[in-house]
Amino acid sequence: MSISVRVGKVKLKNPIILASGTCGFGRELAEYMDLSKLGALSSKGLTLLPRDGNKGVRVAETPSGMLNCVGLQNPGVDAFLETELDYMVQTGAGVVVNVAGHSDEDYLAMVEKLDPYKDKIDALELNFSCPNVKEGCMVIGSSPKAIQSLVSRLRKLTDLPIWVKLTPNVTSIAETAKGAEAGGADAIVAINTMLGMAIDIRTRRPILHNNTGGLSGPCVKPVALRMVHEIYDAVNIPVVGCGGISTYEDVLEFMIAGASAVELGTISLVHPTRPVEIVEDLEKYVEQNKLEGLASLTGTLEMWR
Amino acid sequence: MKSEYKVQLVDKRVLGETCAVLTFSCPEISKEARPGQFINLSCSRFLKRPFGVMCTDEEKGTFSIGVRKVGKGTEDILASEVGEEFTVLGPLGNGFCFDGIKRLLLVGGGTGIFPIYFAACYAGKLGIPVTVVNGYRSKCDAFLYDDFSKVTKDFYVTTDSGDLGVKGTVMASLEELDDSLLNDATCLVVGPGIMMQKVSEWAKQKGISCYVSLEQRMACGIGACLVCVCKIKAEQEGKEFVHKRCCKDGPVFRAEEVIW
Repeated sequence: MSISVRVGKVKLKNPIILASGTCGFGRELAEYMDLSKLGALSSKGLTLLPRDGNKGVRVAETPSGMLNCVGLQNPGVDAFLETELDYMVQTGAGVVVNVAGHSDEDYLAMVEKLDPYKDKIDALELNFSCPNVKEGCMVIGSSPKAIQSLVSRLRKLTDLPIWVKLTPNVTSIAETAKGAEAGGADAIVAINTMLGMAIDIRTRRPILHNNTGGLSGPCVKPVALRMVHEIYDAVNIPVVGCGGISTYEDVLEFMIAGASAVELGTISLVHPTRPVEIVEDLEKYVEQNKLEGLASLTGTLEMWR
Repeated sequence: MKSEYKVQLVDKRVLGETCAVLTFSCPEISKEARPGQFINLSCSRFLKRPFGVMCTDEEKGTFSIGVRKVGKGTEDILASEVGEEFTVLGPLGNGFCFDGIKRLLLVGGGTGIFPIYFAACYAGKLGIPVTVVNGYRSKCDAFLYDDFSKVTKDFYVTTDSGDLGVKGTVMASLEELDDSLLNDATCLVVGPGIMMQKVSEWAKQKGISCYVSLEQRMACGIGACLVCVCKIKAEQEGKEFVHKRCCKDGPVFRAEEVIW
């Protein structure tokens, strides 16, 4: 019995990956759980230069979720390589490095810096979908052609698996996924947060000082599931499902919809030990149902005709 | 390894319509919590709510917090009854360091009076002389008045309405304090931002070292999500500020580091 899965050539001991931006580089959550029990960690989104992130209020609660506008506060890729990468490696979880640029050149420069560390990195995750920075990122992520063009340039720079994390804030996520596949991506990660707003009726101002923010948590799960399934149908590369996962049943739903693995994170902001509990629950599920593993669940959804 | 604890509400002391002291059973937190630290408590909503610890009772294995109604989450917490279960993370954050403190000047306002009470009791146990200055709106919300009176004889109160103590803000009372209470004193302020800023400026003028406990809208409370940052003066040259996490790097900061 094993709950290991593969995302293309990346082998994970289980399908649970901590989503970028919800776990830093692992240090804080390591106080609450044995990170080696997880499939992988995806780093805080890195930029070429350090970023302070957005000022003022960065969070607003919503029914079954939250909006955030952190704005990619991170130490920059150089400081990451110096002080954080080895920490992530020694956690014993797989290492996914999330990178976010303001322009094509930013992504090219970061991938060139990361490629020499390929022995320590399991996959690069291209963040084409952060809704909280004004330039780049989501602009690239909204255009299938721009995605294809950039991914194909990055493909030439590295043999590391390239995962493309897509924004749901588009008309057709199947089309942006196809762009990533055509550019040579190894996997699609979907979805990043949905652009949203919260208003203070007393001041008649947005609660978030960035005015808008990214919605995450259980409230986005139905949208994420639908999108994962659309992507699974549209491309031939693996899909990593992400959006509101809080229980092992949620993981199974995403896998049935077409995900080879999943990312989660908003739930660990409320229950920091939940990710390893989900791993244990998945092991029990496989054992109790006498399954050979979890991987065979991927894409087994039967639609009503 | 740290855990998320299941705790039970064991006592509820109502302090007026929108405020109460809630006591929970949790031997781990009652043993570990220090003044200035906080806990993150589950409520009927999605995220937990942060509260400064007000006191602990190691023998009974309990800790208490002061809760004031701010929104739906705190409203539901206040409506809960003894016996109800919650989940809680804590103690969280860096508390106030008592090492080398010769005399303590505590200044509280709003819900800040609850963690100030913990600091006053703790200093008392350590034999550190304590002065407390609390600012209230009026006599009817002068919470913990009797409790503070028992902890120190040097307890001063100001009210906006003037129906208890000195009329005005805490500044009115601080200006009047006898020098003997300020010599070699260290100041800790917990309250609204404007109050902490004013008291820090006053302390700087007086040459008193001053600490503040910052508050921001929070999510995880453990330093992972970066939503509760505050502006702290940067040590690096050419950089004005760094964003530090209230929850993990604070909530207690040296007043002179803070950019208001």
